[in-house]
Amino acid sequence: MAALWRRPRPPAVSGLCRTLRALSGKNQYDLLVIGGGSGGLACAKEAAQFGRKVAVLDYVEPSLQGTAWGLGGTCVNVGCIPKKLMHQAALLGSALKDAQHYGWNISQPLHHTWSMMAQGVQNYVKSLNWGHRVQLQEKKVKYFNIKGSFSDPHTVHGLTKAGKETVVTADNIVIATGGRPKYPTHVAGALEYGITSDDLFWLKESPGKTLIVGASYVSLECAGFLTGIGLDTTVMMRSIPLRGFDQQMASLVTEHMESYGTKFLKRCFPTKVEKLKSNKLQVTWKNADLGTEETDSFNTVMWAVGRAPDTKTLNLETVGVKTNSETGKIIVDASEATSVPHIYAIGDIAEGRPELTPTAIAAGKLLAQRLFGQSSELMDYDNVPTTVFTPLEYGCVGLSEEAAVQRHGSDNIEVYHAYYKPLEFTVAERDATQCYMKMVCLREGEQRILGLHFIGPNAGEVIQGFALGIKCGATYPQMMKTVGIHPTCAEEVTKLHITKRSGLDATVTGC
Amino acid sequence: MGWEERQVRGYPEFVRAAQSYHGRPIFALFCGDKDAEGRSWCPDCVTAEPVVRKELHNLPDESVFIYCLVGDRAYWKDPNNEFRKNLKLTGVPTLLKYGTPQKLVEEECFKAELVRMLFTED
Repeated sequence: MAALWRRPRPPAVSGLCRTLRALSGKNQYDLLVIGGGSGGLACAKEAAQFGRKVAVLDYVEPSLQGTAWGLGGTCVNVGCIPKKLMHQAALLGSALKDAQHYGWNISQPLHHTWSMMAQGVQNYVKSLNWGHRVQLQEKKVKYFNIKGSFSDPHTVHGLTKAGKETVVTADNIVIATGGRPKYPTHVAGALEYGITSDDLFWLKESPGKTLIVGASYVSLECAGFLTGIGLDTTVMMRSIPLRGFDQQMASLVTEHMESYGTKFLKRCFPTKVEKLKSNKLQVTWKNADLGTEETDSFNTVMWAVGRAPDTKTLNLETVGVKTNSETGKIIVDASEATSVPHIYAIGDIAEGRPELTPTAIAAGKLLAQRLFGQSSELMDYDNVPTTVFTPLEYGCVGLSEEAAVQRHGSDNIEVYHAYYKPLEFTVAERDATQCYMKMVCLREGEQRILGLHFIGPNAGEVIQGFALGIKCGATYPQMMKTVGIHPTCAEEVTKLHITKRSGLDATVTGC
Repeated sequence: MGWEERQVRGYPEFVRAAQSYHGRPIFALFCGDKDAEGRSWCPDCVTAEPVVRKELHNLPDESVFIYCLVGDRAYWKDPNNEFRKNLKLTGVPTLLKYGTPQKLVEEECFKAELVRMLFTED
């Protein structure tokens, strides 16, 4: 376990800051961005376009297992990118199985080599790290590979890997340090023997028989692709899957995963993890429903129990930047400003924001435009589309059915829904039981569409276009006037007409 | 021990050279062939070479700099030549750190700071 060693702040630093500003009367940079991830890099590059002096600090504290990575943040290194590539690897496995029905001679059983996939993914990620380095250099953004701490509201200091003390001063500072996976510290053995998503994508060897603890999309997506590449995979959930998402859709997602081969331990929570002589991990857990204690052994245990911001070392209290006492995230207003006027926060570190790359990027760009361009446009966080990349994908935009009911009352909304079968599943004899979509609309007036939910192949690609419609205030009649593209799954959205209220069978019949 | 330079021509010679230095950091600059007067058919290579050479003193100790002439213009234009197929080169000049995704292509090689970054960063 890596020792978390913090150097006491050298007393010379604050004196040095005062001297720096006393000498020049102004700060070294127009903008300092702390954190080189999706939000930070977008903000820095946009500010540089306005000809401003910009600096970026990026530093990756190695995980407890010792995993570290390059410039680009969570999305590039241990999130969206490697996730989607491994999800694709798993989908290709299913496609190979389907291929037989379509006439291809594929020798069974199929075998997957983790190291080959991992190497391809890791090489691509490293090319992205390099690409970002080149881009920063080309746009004349100064890059420091240091872990920054505030010494005063305009000054950040840190140590380089070589141990050199570096001090940076700036007129404006944007905090975009993101989050890291949480460990269940109350579970004995959790820190010593468990890994997180920080480690999974960088494993050189296959994780083997894996237990993933958590009900988040991180847990389900990882369990999904591990199952897809042929590994014995179990998900342990304490309560509901995909909290915050539409629960009917969440159930369909997990149902599909079960039929796909992922094992689920529902209403269970771990109590301890021990290492066996064979090097396997023995996990003990309690089943809340049955009141029993059970155990099993795994090669890998991965914690996906939430993410938390790492603000301890930033020294936020020193400069008065307020955080939410429960989440630890930085409190911001609609313009991403913190409690200190020239200090801003974007991305996962900011309280109340979606933990998504596109919103961080957009917020970062708009912030730079407001600071250095002539813009006053604020980031619009409404109707942000998203997709869960489980083996059967779930894409959505707008309100969940529960949220719509809560906001408008069930009498004032209409839910149109349909079970459908992707054409490609027919010949392949694939089970389409969970292929389903629903559209939540206001019942009165123009019948505005409040939310759209789609489970099926390529859900992200399907939902993206409809997000524009929702942004423009599309209505149910407008959707019905939209002609579908045939044969696709997406066209079924334009044909939704059976309401939940009617109680009629919502299964789509062929054309 | 500082760094050393090795000059090669053509793909097989490049591969042999890279293999012989296995275990050491290898940087390679790929350029179009030079005529009897020492001028390359590739004008960007003519621009890039002095820029790269000026930064060679930044190479880490123990590293090798392979200067590789890829062939004549016709060979290079062939979309199936071994450099394109096996090393995935897309243009000349290309300056790369062998065995990593770190590379600079064409006009990127004109920029001293980028060349220096390639030679000195992890």
